[in-house]
Amino acid sequence: MGATGFQPGRIVLLVALTALALIGFASGDPGILSGANLYSMAVFAVEIGIIAFGQTLVICGGDGGIDLSVGAIAALAQVLMGLALQAGIFWPASVLIAVVAGIVMGAVNGVLVTRFRIEPIITTLATMFVFDGLALVLTGGINIDLTTMPQTFLDLGQGSALGLPFQLLCVYLPAFLILIALQHRTHFGRSLYLVGTNTLSARLTGIRVDRLRAWTYVIAGLLSGLAGAIGAARLGTASPTADEQANLISIAIVVLGGSSIFGGDGSVVGTAVATVLIGVVNYGLSYNDFNPIYQAGVMGIILIAAVLIENLASGRNWAAMPFFSRRGPTAIPRKESSG
Amino acid sequence: MRLMTAFELKNIVKSFGGVRALKGVDLQIESGRTHVLLGENGAGKSTLIKILTGALTPDDGTILIDGEACALRNPEHAQAMGIAAVYQEPLIYPHLSVLENIFMGREIAGPLGYVRRDAMRAAVRPVLTELELPETLLSRPMSSLSLGYQQLVLIAKALVQNARLIIFDEPTSILSRAESQRLFSIIGRLRDGGRAIVYITHRLEEVPQIGDRVTVLTDGQVTGAYGAGEFSETTLLELMAGKKSREIEKEIEAHRDIAADAVEHPVLAVENLSHESYFDDVTWRLPGGIITGIYGLVGSGRSEVALSVFGFLKPSGGRILLDGRPVAPADPAEAIALGIGYLPEDRKLQGIFATKPLESNLTSNRLGGFARTLGLLDFKSLFDDARRVMARYNIKAQSTRTMISTLSGGNQQKGLFARWAGKPFKVLILDEPTRGIDVRTKDEIHDFIRDLAAQGVAVVVISSDLKEVLSVSDRIIVMREGRVVDEVAGDGMTPERVLGSALGAGKAAA
Amino acid sequence: MSFQAGARPDQIARPVAARGWLERAVRFAKGREGVLLITLFLLVIVISIGSHGAFWAPVNLNNLMVSAAVTAIPAIGMTLVILTGGIDVSIGSMLGLVAAIGGKFFEAGWSIPVVAPLFCLIGAAFGLVNAAIIIGGRVPPVVATLGTLSIFRMSVFLVLGANWITMIPPELTVIFISDRVWFLPVASVMALVLMAAFAFFLRSFRLGRHIYAIGNNEEAARLAGIPVGRIKLYAYTLLGMFTGVAALLTLGQSPLVQTSTGTGFELGVIAAVVLGGTELSGGRGTILGTLLGTLIVELVNDGVVLMHIQPFWGGVLLGGIILLSIGINQRWPGRGSKAAE
Repeated sequence: MGATGFQPGRIVLLVALTALALIGFASGDPGILSGANLYSMAVFAVEIGIIAFGQTLVICGGDGGIDLSVGAIAALAQVLMGLALQAGIFWPASVLIAVVAGIVMGAVNGVLVTRFRIEPIITTLATMFVFDGLALVLTGGINIDLTTMPQTFLDLGQGSALGLPFQLLCVYLPAFLILIALQHRTHFGRSLYLVGTNTLSARLTGIRVDRLRAWTYVIAGLLSGLAGAIGAARLGTASPTADEQANLISIAIVVLGGSSIFGGDGSVVGTAVATVLIGVVNYGLSYNDFNPIYQAGVMGIILIAAVLIENLASGRNWAAMPFFSRRGPTAIPRKESSG
Repeated sequence: MRLMTAFELKNIVKSFGGVRALKGVDLQIESGRTHVLLGENGAGKSTLIKILTGALTPDDGTILIDGEACALRNPEHAQAMGIAAVYQEPLIYPHLSVLENIFMGREIAGPLGYVRRDAMRAAVRPVLTELELPETLLSRPMSSLSLGYQQLVLIAKALVQNARLIIFDEPTSILSRAESQRLFSIIGRLRDGGRAIVYITHRLEEVPQIGDRVTVLTDGQVTGAYGAGEFSETTLLELMAGKKSREIEKEIEAHRDIAADAVEHPVLAVENLSHESYFDDVTWRLPGGIITGIYGLVGSGRSEVALSVFGFLKPSGGRILLDGRPVAPADPAEAIALGIGYLPEDRKLQGIFATKPLESNLTSNRLGGFARTLGLLDFKSLFDDARRVMARYNIKAQSTRTMISTLSGGNQQKGLFARWAGKPFKVLILDEPTRGIDVRTKDEIHDFIRDLAAQGVAVVVISSDLKEVLSVSDRIIVMREGRVVDEVAGDGMTPERVLGSALGAGKAAA
Repeated sequence: MSFQAGARPDQIARPVAARGWLERAVRFAKGREGVLLITLFLLVIVISIGSHGAFWAPVNLNNLMVSAAVTAIPAIGMTLVILTGGIDVSIGSMLGLVAAIGGKFFEAGWSIPVVAPLFCLIGAAFGLVNAAIIIGGRVPPVVATLGTLSIFRMSVFLVLGANWITMIPPELTVIFISDRVWFLPVASVMALVLMAAFAFFLRSFRLGRHIYAIGNNEEAARLAGIPVGRIKLYAYTLLGMFTGVAALLTLGQSPLVQTSTGTGFELGVIAAVVLGGTELSGGRGTILGTLLGTLIVELVNDGVVLMHIQPFWGGVLLGGIILLSIGINQRWPGRGSKAAE
């Protein structure tokens, strides 16, 4: 229905690539298609997938919107949660602390970007240093062991429900459905597409651009905090250096999923499918005993190839677009032309 | 001294998507003369300059330089042929120094490209003297200069390039009176130095002061050409308005009479509104059910007053009354909630969401109205609404899902109009509601506007198109240089009076 | 009609000549470089006191100067790239890859004079790869280099396998770190010379000015006949080459190549450039600013260690300083980029 930025073409391409990857791996060793393996695949993809959802919204808001601090938020949130658990705080409250911490950190980003007008890439680069640093300071650089915590907590990252990983069924999928609704079926999501497409037009049509953009950072923070909590439960440890590469990987997934880095296009659906592709490739490679770093490399190749192919197909001239600049057509209304 | 026709345009034709902007224009430009090009907005002046500077290629016709036909391939080529233009909105490198702005791309450099700033300073010095600019200017960043000074720098650039023809595109529209006088004397000296000057304006009072020859352009055609002393302000005014006046009288049925006390009970009143950069002491009274036309030229501050009412700009003084109560919308969202709508003038930059479907574009200002439980949108009524306004405003598109940028300009504009007309407002300000669209669609939109007024909306039509303002409005407020200079209704609404007020006719004589 | 700042016709910005030295000093202090210089000065004072003078120990100064050099050299290239309106986030992985390939040559017993230029060449080649994707393939710089970031890192593994390279000739350390020119380590001298050269180049040579022109107004630059694509290509290639130099120096600092070599390196470099006042939208920034930005980044890291604060405060302080210094410059009218554009 109202799926404005939904890109069926890209999604079909990604699904085809995913199928291709699965077939490729299966032809090497059919064992990869076993339930247990698919299960593990899902477990690994969930956290980065959740973070990528938030990144999708931030990038969708346009005008250079980007969040480099998502990994740091996840790390600091899980450290705070770990400390709370150590202090004997009831585990659901501790998880809540992680989520609230994520929200607060996202709000800091949002305020710096929209109120202080510091460019998103600088803001989040700086807050990334700050959040990462705080996580290290709070722990002294040492991982917090959580394996002795109640099993109900650890099940957040290790349990299963209806034969599926608990976090997939009870966190990722609900989050996915909520975000699809948020992005494609609500006032907020539709307005965000318009903001990302043409900021000035959006403002002149009565959309509160800054408020909307600030919210995207808050949501990204919330989801990163949540992903941090799940990751800590999965590994039974809260690490201040967790998710170090999450910023870059999440951006890559978002772009791969069909979002324009300039905003106003793309969908969490595309992001989810791209996450599945990355998950399959990653797992397939490690299943075949490739070092995990190849996964990242293959992802890089896919990312560049996807954009290159699209450029060739559409003949769209990215080079003419200033990178992350506030100039350009959406910044200031130009004067009337005469004659 | 024998005057040479250095540059000549012959039978230049240019169309944009079926609209003929230039319908066979002839123009002779002699060295040592100032040629004024006079015309209303939309008369084709800009297109003509773009062709002269190589930014556009004509569909038909020839350009002769020193008697030889010369097809200008691109702006670089035109520059090499000695043609330079000084635009209203200077094309600059904001963070670089004035010196570099003058020489960028054609630096004086030694071995390895070592930039010889001293040599460049020396080269530009005589030009600075000619323009009466201090040499200290050269090391300042361009962005620290006012637009007036930036313009002078671009003139310097043209002179350093040895331009033989300098085109000024409405240079005074951004200048103060003192700055304008200074510019005139500079242009005079450039002319005396043997350069050809083309000066484009719609400020009538400037013409006798500066022009040796005047060419009047109306609707893409030359409607009059005069030498020095052959014209007066009155004849020019008649030329610009005259043809229109006859046309309009033929076409328009009698103006509706408005109740004399209508303006005493306005829905929206702007009282003594001022803005430190754009307008001063502006008062608009906008009664319901009546179409108020706002006429004024570029830079008259009309759009900015509207943007202030709409909460986009922050006025520095005065107040806005809605139904007699003071309001101060902090942003457009608040203005819309109060019942004030604004259709922006620039369709591409301020209006459409180019890559989004028609339904998104039609409903962007009232999405909240479709929100139901949990903020979810009711898509059935959203699409129903989109289809309703599509049908009501006769927007021709395959479906509500069609990407708006694939529609014709006229249909895009109707779409934007429908975005605002499709929602009940107390006050609706339409800024250039029919700019750049074909006549049929124009008439259609004018009918829609009258319907809105019939429903009791206080409608404002801001336009640079005299004919439009005269034919659609019940009363007209004329603005000039940030102030309201005239207000007419009924029989007072003649082309001569409105255009004369907007141009400041008679001021130069006084 | 225009919504630009300062558009009021009768408010003419009159050209003002710079007057006395005091006024000039005040103006400098208010500018980005001034703020940075003052910050740097304060940092040195705080660290001197906080470390009870340990800051001034020759060993510490030496380490500080070397690590500043390692950041500063690629930061020159990064400044050029950002000045054109681009960015390169791949240089951390690139550094790792150059070090791995170069390390293989060392393992094979090649001598330093042969391998050292190879480091530069290999780096330049990788920079060229980025440039080709960005300019030739019209991929937005952040996306392209995000991709090559992963690809280069993967290639490090391909080159290294499961092993570390430890057979780095110890003379490398001697040449670049221990040997001195007057009192400065060779690496620092190299950095200073390169910075001076590029500051001069950017200020006084046509190509340098064209880099600024592109970042200021790419369309106008094109119209003025400036070869925009070629100049961007130079910038990315140069950044690659300087990353190669940094890789060589890194091996001098610690003679070891492992798969994580260079991870996160790009962030320090970008932070130094941004802190130095180069605007990400391009067209504005100086090498002097980059130098000061680099020194602040390195001072913070060093000071945290010296003052026996948990080293992890380094990141917090760095992030805070970036936000503060940019926030401060943002508020002064005519300084913030938003007002001017």
